Amino acid sequence: MKRDRDEVFVEYTKSICPVCKIVVDAQVNLRDDKVYLRKRCPEHGQFEALVYGDAQMYLDSARFNKPGTIPLTFQTEVRDGCPADCGLCPEHKQHACLGIIEVNTGCNLDCPICFADSGHQPDGYAISLAQCERMLDVFVASEGEAEVVMFSGGEPTIHRQILDFVDAAQARPIRAVNLNTNGIRLASDRAFVAALGERNRPGRAVNIYLQFDGFDERTHREIRGRDLRKIKQRALDNCAEVGLTVTLVAAVERGLNEHELGAIISHGLAHPAVRSVSFQPVTHSGRHTPFDPLTRLTNSDIIHLVARQRPDWFRAEDFFPVPCCFPTCRSITYLLTSGTPGAEDFAVVPIPRLLDVADHLDYVANRVVPDPAIREALEKLWSASAFMGTDTTSARLAQAAAALDCADACGVNLPEAVADLTDRAFMIVIQDFQDPYTLNVRQLMKCCVEEITPDGRLIPFCAYNSVGYREQVREQMSGVPVADVVPNALALRAMITDSPYGSKVAQRSDDAAARRRVAPDATNVGRRIR
Amino acid sequence: MTSRSEPAASPKSCCAAVYGSDLVALLLGEAYHPGDSSLTRRLAARTALTSGERVLDVASGRGASALLLASEYGCTVTGVDLAGPNVAAATREARSVGLADRVRFRQGDAERLSVDSHSVDVVVCECAFCTFPDKPTAAAELARVLVPGGRLGMADVIAVPDRLPPELTGLGAWIACVADARPLDEYVALLAGAGLTTIHTERHDAAVTTMIDQIEARLTVLRLTAADQAAALGLDFSLAPAVLAAARAAVADGVLGYAILTARKSGSGLR
Repeated sequence: MKRDRDEVFVEYTKSICPVCKIVVDAQVNLRDDKVYLRKRCPEHGQFEALVYGDAQMYLDSARFNKPGTIPLTFQTEVRDGCPADCGLCPEHKQHACLGIIEVNTGCNLDCPICFADSGHQPDGYAISLAQCERMLDVFVASEGEAEVVMFSGGEPTIHRQILDFVDAAQARPIRAVNLNTNGIRLASDRAFVAALGERNRPGRAVNIYLQFDGFDERTHREIRGRDLRKIKQRALDNCAEVGLTVTLVAAVERGLNEHELGAIISHGLAHPAVRSVSFQPVTHSGRHTPFDPLTRLTNSDIIHLVARQRPDWFRAEDFFPVPCCFPTCRSITYLLTSGTPGAEDFAVVPIPRLLDVADHLDYVANRVVPDPAIREALEKLWSASAFMGTDTTSARLAQAAAALDCADACGVNLPEAVADLTDRAFMIVIQDFQDPYTLNVRQLMKCCVEEITPDGRLIPFCAYNSVGYREQVREQMSGVPVADVVPNALALRAMITDSPYGSKVAQRSDDAAARRRVAPDATNVGRRIR
Repeated sequence: MTSRSEPAASPKSCCAAVYGSDLVALLLGEAYHPGDSSLTRRLAARTALTSGERVLDVASGRGASALLLASEYGCTVTGVDLAGPNVAAATREARSVGLADRVRFRQGDAERLSVDSHSVDVVVCECAFCTFPDKPTAAAELARVLVPGGRLGMADVIAVPDRLPPELTGLGAWIACVADARPLDEYVALLAGAGLTTIHTERHDAAVTTMIDQIEARLTVLRLTAADQAAALGLDFSLAPAVLAAARAAVADGVLGYAILTARKSGSGLR
């Protein structure tokens, strides 16, 4: 008696072995209304991970996929194929919406969860001003006029020249600078906050991307190793004082803080400095707590959790995939708000309920573009370069509001009225970064968030963290050998051991075995990047 | 609303009038009926629309569906609508997107279609049949214009009229269209009486919930920005929460909903 499979096979793609990082074939299957990526390494066996918790949403997202834009320059050549040629290689499908410069590996925290594997470490590196300028120049050469550069680390605020780096970015055609920080220095050094505030000016915004995971003490201890609640509040208040716009960025891990999403949004809506919240399922690259790849959080899980925790404000349908990258990578919604949560006159209106976002961002079915100008505005809003506090995002919000129909109805100019409300518009971003388990080259090839390396490459963020580029760059910069990091997955316990930085690496026997098994170049199967 | 005791033309023209009214435009925006373009595509797929077919869109509104069917499915579409301004707006839109050669709009009444018998391959009727006061006549008209074997694709409000909550009568504009909506099996029976055999039905009640959300969003924006002007137009913000809650409850209880239905006229078609 023949039996049917318990899954629907929907994609054939490439990934990597999470242990030895060789390139392997992979398949995507739908099972129990969820989406899984499965692959097999000849040496380390089969691996499977959840990549999207809602199969219907995954399939529906396919139409929100726009043609990529070709960058002005590529930094590498196509030689071995994706993901070994980063980057950007001429086969890359998208330019860089967002460039990231990691200024150091050192940090004033040693968080149990850190994709960058940073901390109080003696053998890391910090870039010089000359290196930073070169990295910025590479970004500008590739983009012409760039939207946003983000300084990250490590902890960028402890780099002595961080303000010089901001100045260097502002001296170039880069519209906005984001500072990705844990907030410790913002909480204690008001002169530093003031210096950032002075640099935040029209046409050259400086915005704060503040790590903010929740309100339970346990959340802080398990994710950050310390109770940082008071520090976060002081950092926020100090930013508000000098007019800096803040995004609250939450790393969300199952069983730790997924119950706090609604509270984080509410807190953001109530604080004058905060204009957006970004939820990121914990990236199981670098250092993290043990996890099960089959039950990890994905974008659709976060969307459903937000809708469940604040049904008075959200439905899952308020979120739309971002078409510039692969649509399953990132989803966004915008809110118009008035008043303070809890107060009687408080109101929240998700913008997609006022405007048919789907119709404008549908690049597949829709052959009559309803209005190219509205589409262009929405493209900039549903983009990895959209950040509250930047001129581009503000202007596009006003433009989208102006697109509301019935401009002349009833003597009420609704678009104009809504445009006034965009001053308090609020953005919610949900971004699931890929890790060595979930990596799918299909998504990687259209990634628009790039790590700018000191040697002048633009490497897709998830390739940088998963494939071995982060380790490669650290080794080059610090002169200290760095082994490839392996996810701390429960199923891999027998194959992994501790790295000096708190992450996990393959036991040496596995490593050596994998190196002998490198496949011939031509097949692009089984070849390591290093 | 007890439309049946009124002259036959009243609720229909009332509905056309409120659809043309500023207040309704303000509250509904372009969401004149539940379900966005994806539901129109679903309806098109269910009626197996193919390139070159002659389509009649009954109650074509401002023409969004007619233009979609023409551009994405390659049909030739005639749209008929009771409201003159809608016809004018739709005609302008067809011209501006370069589809005027295949999509035409004209003013007309669904119960007396000025369309030749046996001249249309597919009739599409979205969220309009529920507003027709003389439903048997309207169904007969839809059947008359179809070629033998021709298909009907209908999307409409489903309601169990005597179970609708009283709060909904507060939203006068909306109730004008809901009041004469029927249960799904009643639509099936009405069409059968006209010689149209229902092939497939499916419920899309979530589309009504989405529409309620959209109305609530617009109400909120109005309250925040132009409360006085909206009140002058007769909008009572204090009633809104109860009305919206009643509408949501009616959807949850299955008393109010939305469905698409496909039917076929007997006889062998050309294909």
